[in-house]
Order: sequence, then structure tokens, then C-alpha cells
Amino acid sequence: MMFSTPHRNKSRFSFNSPGKAVRLTALLLLLGLSGYIYYLDVTIRDAFDGRKFALPARVYGRALEVYPGLKLAREQFLDEFRSLGYHESPQADEAATYKNTLNGVEFTTRDFAFGDGPQPAQHLRVEFADGKVSLLQVRGNPDADLPLLRMEPPLIGGIYPGHNEDRELVRLDQVPKPLIAALIATEDRKFYTHWGIDPRGIARALFKTVTGQRIEGGSTLTQQLVKNFFLTPQRTLTRKANEVLMALLLEMHYSKDEILETYLNEIFLGQDSSRAIHGFGLASYFYFDRPLDRLELQEMATLVGMVKGPTVYDPRKHPELAMKRRNVVLQEMLGQNVITQAQFLAARRKPLGVVLRAPAGTSPYPAFMQFVHHQLELDYREEDLRSEGLRIFTTLDPFVQHQAEQALQSRLTAIEKARRIPSNTLEGAVVVSSTQTGEIQAMVGGRDARYAGYNRAIDAQRQIGSLVKPIIYLTALEDPQRYTLITPLDDSPLLWSQPGTPDWKPKNYDRQFHGQVQLRTALANSYNVSTARLGIALGVERILGKLPLYGIERQPPPFASSLLGAFGLSPVEVSQLYQTFADGGFRTPLRAIRTIVTADGKPLQRFPLNVEPVAPPGPVYLLTAALQGVVREGTAQSLVNWLPAEMNVAGKTGTTDDLRDSWFAGYTGDRVAVVWVGRDDSKTTGLTGASGAMTVWGEMMKNIQPEPLQPAMPEEVEMANVDPVSGLRYDEGCKAGISLPFIKGSAPALMSPCPASSGPAAPPGVDAKPGAKPDVKSGGKQDTRKKNWLQRLFN
Amino acid sequence: MSGNRAVIALLDRAQTDSDAGQSEAAGASLERALRIEPRNPWLWFELAQLRLAQGQYAQAITLARKSNSFSGRQYRVQAENWRVIARARVSQGDAAGADQAFKRASDLEQQAGAEKDRDAGFHAQ
Repeated sequence: MMFSTPHRNKSRFSFNSPGKAVRLTALLLLLGLSGYIYYLDVTIRDAFDGRKFALPARVYGRALEVYPGLKLAREQFLDEFRSLGYHESPQADEAATYKNTLNGVEFTTRDFAFGDGPQPAQHLRVEFADGKVSLLQVRGNPDADLPLLRMEPPLIGGIYPGHNEDRELVRLDQVPKPLIAALIATEDRKFYTHWGIDPRGIARALFKTVTGQRIEGGSTLTQQLVKNFFLTPQRTLTRKANEVLMALLLEMHYSKDEILETYLNEIFLGQDSSRAIHGFGLASYFYFDRPLDRLELQEMATLVGMVKGPTVYDPRKHPELAMKRRNVVLQEMLGQNVITQAQFLAARRKPLGVVLRAPAGTSPYPAFMQFVHHQLELDYREEDLRSEGLRIFTTLDPFVQHQAEQALQSRLTAIEKARRIPSNTLEGAVVVSSTQTGEIQAMVGGRDARYAGYNRAIDAQRQIGSLVKPIIYLTALEDPQRYTLITPLDDSPLLWSQPGTPDWKPKNYDRQFHGQVQLRTALANSYNVSTARLGIALGVERILGKLPLYGIERQPPPFASSLLGAFGLSPVEVSQLYQTFADGGFRTPLRAIRTIVTADGKPLQRFPLNVEPVAPPGPVYLLTAALQGVVREGTAQSLVNWLPAEMNVAGKTGTTDDLRDSWFAGYTGDRVAVVWVGRDDSKTTGLTGASGAMTVWGEMMKNIQPEPLQPAMPEEVEMANVDPVSGLRYDEGCKAGISLPFIKGSAPALMSPCPASSGPAAPPGVDAKPGAKPDVKSGGKQDTRKKNWLQRLFN
Repeated sequence: MSGNRAVIALLDRAQTDSDAGQSEAAGASLERALRIEPRNPWLWFELAQLRLAQGQYAQAITLARKSNSFSGRQYRVQAENWRVIARARVSQGDAAGADQAFKRASDLEQQAGAEKDRDAGFHAQ
């Protein structure tokens, strides 16, 4: 009995259980199912609401400012039109059209909403004379002179959501009726009446599946939209079931128009390398370079045809298949009485008409875009960048950018050819910025400027060699009681012992020692030994400790060898360093972004000019004079083959051990530019700074046509006429001397009589040979010097 | 201040924005002008003055100095810059520094006046 009760209980329980269990199971199933449906519902609504508004950030280059007197050639202006997508037209009265005239161009701009408000389209005329804008007028009745025109900025790229999806949102009322009709005729005839699914289609698909054929078909537009939200290649029955459920749910929550509009913006219509083309709005630009509302009937049919398979029916890759498919769509439209027989026949005869090259989508300037992206990531969430439709106005100048790309490409090819270096082994990077505002105008991350991979301008940390020297010389010149441009430095052999490092015996590039040399000469010829000695005297820590002041965050190893640049920096870091020298001791952080505007045109953030005084203007002026000496008579004197001496360029060559890195950093009146040339595997290139990077710099600047460098003399500086060799001071009028800048009170006091036959002084900084007697020794010295730089060039 | 009508137009626009309390927009217009004439000390002075009005005193002082670095022998703009520096120092609580700067400003003003007189005398001859 003791056992029977529980047994009976158990048996009663089990006896009663089947009905209960079924009910319980059914309830659980129902609960589970409704839970599952609820889960699907939330998922699909999230996807629908979220995707509906995902708009990539648009990134623009600088807007060209045109005004009378601007240095601008017609060809350059036409390039601007091309980058803005203007078309030539006989009248040039429609937005974004132009025509050439005898002396210039007539054109019509587009409406454009800048950060500071909208700017309406204008009918304009520009004329050119002597490489400058000579006339700027609004065409009208009568014509009116205009002081300034701001062109629309060129679109240079986007920051795309998710898997690099790009789209150009269209509202349903912007979509041409025939396109919608074509879509419904070919893809889903019952779209306006069904509940999201087509039972007969599903039955057909099921039958095919059960009989072992491919799982396919039967998809309404709603189902296709669902599928597009969760793009995965699998095709299973579960997926199909989910798709059906979600399609039904979508139809419960949203109207037909909402679903159709989202479909039109969402559907995948092609691939542009890493960028996915979503929606008819963007596809219209991508394939026909025109907005949707300017497409012709057969072009709409081509796009609708691609829905079935964007890869198979890609009109660029498979034109015959695309054409066949297009005609099927036209046939369907005829069959549904959407078009007339005449329209059908006319459309069928037309060619596909796709533009050969897709307009720039992923940026043609990947290196610059990467820099912009890095700056944005400091302040913005990645998802906002990819979905909020922000408009980002940057500093990139396509003209300067193209000169930089061209110069790097052509010079590297020429150097490889001339020196029998295996082709495509040299690499390089270029950064160009505006001297006074720190705006980056160009950035090239490698020889193949379109390649969005390794960006050497930012990511290559290469030894900078002699490029570091100006910091040492500037530090010296900040103490005018001890150092002037003519202070003798000791360039005799040096051995430096520091605990923890092997003894250091710096050598000069020419493997010689030069005894006593003037400070300016040591920098001009980039003597290592005297510079190292100077740096040690000033203090290794003190010199290296200055780097953060110039905006260099990286700390080099605290060894004396760092004084000669035995540490790596990226080209953009070097640009920041030279920016301060170029701008009179004011540091302006390099900027790539000017303004960020929200999708509806409200200013969101400005990046205003920010200036820090980090070095006194007097010593910086002297340093610039010394760096002009580098170009005039030092290691960079062959720059004259590209730029005339009157440019007064200041610059510095950099060459590292075993000729691994070739650098040139320099500045003109309006631009700072840094070029690095080397190999990615850090093997020797056989190039010095002068024979490699400097030639790229010269070629680029020659084409940019920079302003000459004429810094205003600070009040604490005065000019003095001194003997170039002895450093003795002459009278103002004595021709034997050269005119050099000194911090007031630091010029040599000792006056020397002017050599008899010498007349008035030579222009500033130009070596004048002592007129008295041409002595053999000094002539010999000249020869060695010439030989030295020849060696430097051709070694 | 500038012989370039484009720059004048932008200065006018900056003035209008500034009067309307739109200092951000005024700054943007001044920067546009500076891109056209980056070494015009008057434009840097205008930007310095704008930053002073915005209460960015350190920036105002630096920009005034930068303006001076392009000014050569243009004493008038130098005097204006020292006045900006003086007022910024007042706001920073640096009374002594402000006095010095005001003194520099009035000295430069006199120098500018003297130069103008000399020029006038020269033209009179």
C-alpha cells in the first residue's frame, strides 16, 4: 500500500496527462510562436524604421572662390567644371552647364546650401587674361560685375553606412511614374492588392522545393524588401517562412506607399568596388550620371531589369544580357498597357546608354578621406557619420591634389628608369598645406593615389634624418648672445659616450670633416658632426623635449643619435613641424575639415583657425633665412632646375642611413609641402633627399605656381653686411659682404675695412666673391663643394 | 585694408554677421577672406578683434601678434593690434601688461601719425 498510493497517484497523473499535455504543449507552442512572431515584428520594424533614414555623410572639397585677379587659367577652370559634373551646352542657361567663349566661359551654377546659408543658381561669365581672371559678371539685363563668386564644392566622397552602402534618397513623388509601373509590371503585379505575400507564388515555390528543384521565386516586392534587409546568401525553408511572416507584419504596420518608397531606396542595384549601390536614386547616377527624373523610358527599364540580378544584368559587364532583360521589361510594360506600342518600339531601338565610368563614389582621394575620417572619429559616433546625412566641408583642393599625385607618379617612374631601379619598387607620400591657415590642400598616400590601402602620408613612420636639424638650429638661434647665423661651429671628429648606448661617432655624408664652419653653412650643407656637437651642447633632452611644442606627440628615444633624426615620423607629422617654421613660429594644427552641417542645412560644428605662439618670431626668421640658404647654396641647390631662384624657397633635405629614406620638406610664401620617397620594405633606394623627394617637390611646386617666400622682418631683427668667410662686419655699402639677418644687438661689432675694389653690397644672402684677389685656396674650395653636391646627386 | 573687392565684400559680410550677433558666421567669412589674402595683417587683426569680442582672450592676443608678424612697417595696424592685446589683458586681469600694451599702442599711433605727416609733407612739396 505504501507503494501503491504513489503508484496510483503516478498512474492517475499519467492517465490524465495526455489531454492536459497536449493543451499545455499547444499553449506553450502558441506562446512560443507569438513570442517568435513578436520577435520578428520588432526586428522587421527596427530594420524598416532604421534603414529608412540611413544617409551616408557627404564629404566635399574646398569651394573654389573666383574673383577678378585670381590666378586661374581657363583649362584649370574647366577641370573644376568637370569635377563638379557640369556639362557643356550651347546656351549654358541650365544649372550645371557651361560653354566656352572667345575669352572665357559662360556658365550657370547650381543651387547649393552652404554652412552659412543657401546660395541660389546664377548665370555667370568669367574671362581670363594672362593666366588670371580678368572679368567676373552676372549675365543679365544688363550684365553686372560681381566681386566674388563661390562655386559649389566638389563632392569627394562619402562615409557609408553598414557594409559600405551608398544611396541617394528619393521621395516617392520624385520617382517617375513609368519606373514604378515597370517595377510592378515585372516584379509584382498584385502589389497594390496583396497582403505582402502571393499565395500562388508561394505554392509554386513550395512545389518546386518539395520536388527537389531550386528554392526560388514567388517573392512580392514586400518580401524582396524584407530579404534585402537581411541579405544573406542562404536559401532555406526557415528563411522563406521568416520572410513570409515578416512581409505580412510589414504590411500590417505600413502603407503600400511607405513600403514602395523604402523599396525604391533600399533595393541593391550594383557594386562599385567596395561600395554597394542601393536604391534607384543612386543607381540612376551610377549608371547614367543623371538624376532619376531625367531618365528615359528604356533607361528606367534597364534599372528595373537589374532587380532580378544586379550582377548578371550589370549593363557595364554584361551589356547583351542587360539589353535582353531590358527588353523583357519593356515587353511586360506593353503587355500591362503601361506603354503604347509606339513607345515600346521606340524604346526597344535605343542603345543601353550607360556612362562608361561611374561618377566618383568611393573617394578618388582615399588618403585625404582617411585623414578626414580620423579627425571625425574624435568627435562623432561612427553610426552617426554613416547614417545622419551629415555634410562635411573639407579643405582639399583638387587642383593641388592632382599636381601632387602627378608629380609623385611621374618623378618616381622617371627616377626608376634613369637609375635602372626595378619599376614600381619606389613608393612615396606627399602632404601640402597652406602656410598661414594650416589647411591641408593635398595628401597622397602612395604612388597609386586611388588605392585605398596603406596610407604612407599618415601610417608610414620613417626615419626623418636631417629634417630634424632645424629644431636644433632654432634652439641655438633663440640664444642670440651665443649663436648667430655666422657663429663658427666645430665640425671636427666627435666621439660621444652615453651610458646604455654604444659610443656614437657621427659622420658627414661626404665622409669628411670640415673644421670650423659657420652655423648657416653647417645647416646648408647638412653637416652631421657639427650639428650633433651643437645639439649636445644645447642638451639632447632639451632639443627632443621641444617636439610636443611643434605638435609632434611621439617621443623619440632619448639618445644623441635622435639629434640626427634616427627616429621615425610620418609625412603628416613632419608637415606639422615645418608648418611652424613656415608661419613665423606660430603653430596652427593641420586641419582637413572646416565645417560640418546637418542633413537639413544647420551648422553643426566649425573647426575655426587656432593659433599658438611656440617660437619667437626673430629666431624663426633667421632659421628661414638659413633654410633659404639650403636651397640657394646647400644640399637643395638643384631645386633651381624646377623653381626660379626668386621663389626664395626655404627647405631641408633628409637622407637616412644606407639611403633608405629620401625626404624633402620646404615652404614657399603660401604653401608648406613634405615629400617622402622610399621603399615599403625599407631597403636602400640609392636616393638622397635631393635626388629623390626634392625632385618630386620641385615638379609639383612648378605646376602649382606658388607665391615667393618673403617673410616680413620682425622688429627685433636687423640686417648686417658681413664677410661671408671671416664673419667680419663691413660698411653697409661694401660689396665684399653679404647681407644677413641678426637679432638686434647680436651682429658682429668689429668693423673691417672694405676691400679696395669693392663697391655697393650684394643683394641679401648672395655670396659675393671677395673682389681683391681670386685666391687659389677659395677657388679650390668652391670646386670641392660643387663636387660634393654632384656626388650627393648622383651617388 | 585691402585693394581686392572680393576681400572687401567678405569683410562687409563679416561685419553684418558680427553686428547681428552671428560671430561664428563672421569668423567663417573672415577665414574666407584670409584664404584669399593670407598675409594681410588687417584681416588677422579683424579676426583677433572678433575673438576678443567672443571672450577668447588668449586666441585674441595670439592672432594680434600674428597680425603684427605680417605688418612690416604698417604702424597703424600694429597700434590696433596692441590695443586688442591690451584689452584682452585687462580681461585676463593683467593690469600691468595691459598698461604696457596700451603704451605700445599709443607710441605706434604717434609713429603712424608722424609717417602720415611726412608723407603729406612729401606730397605737398
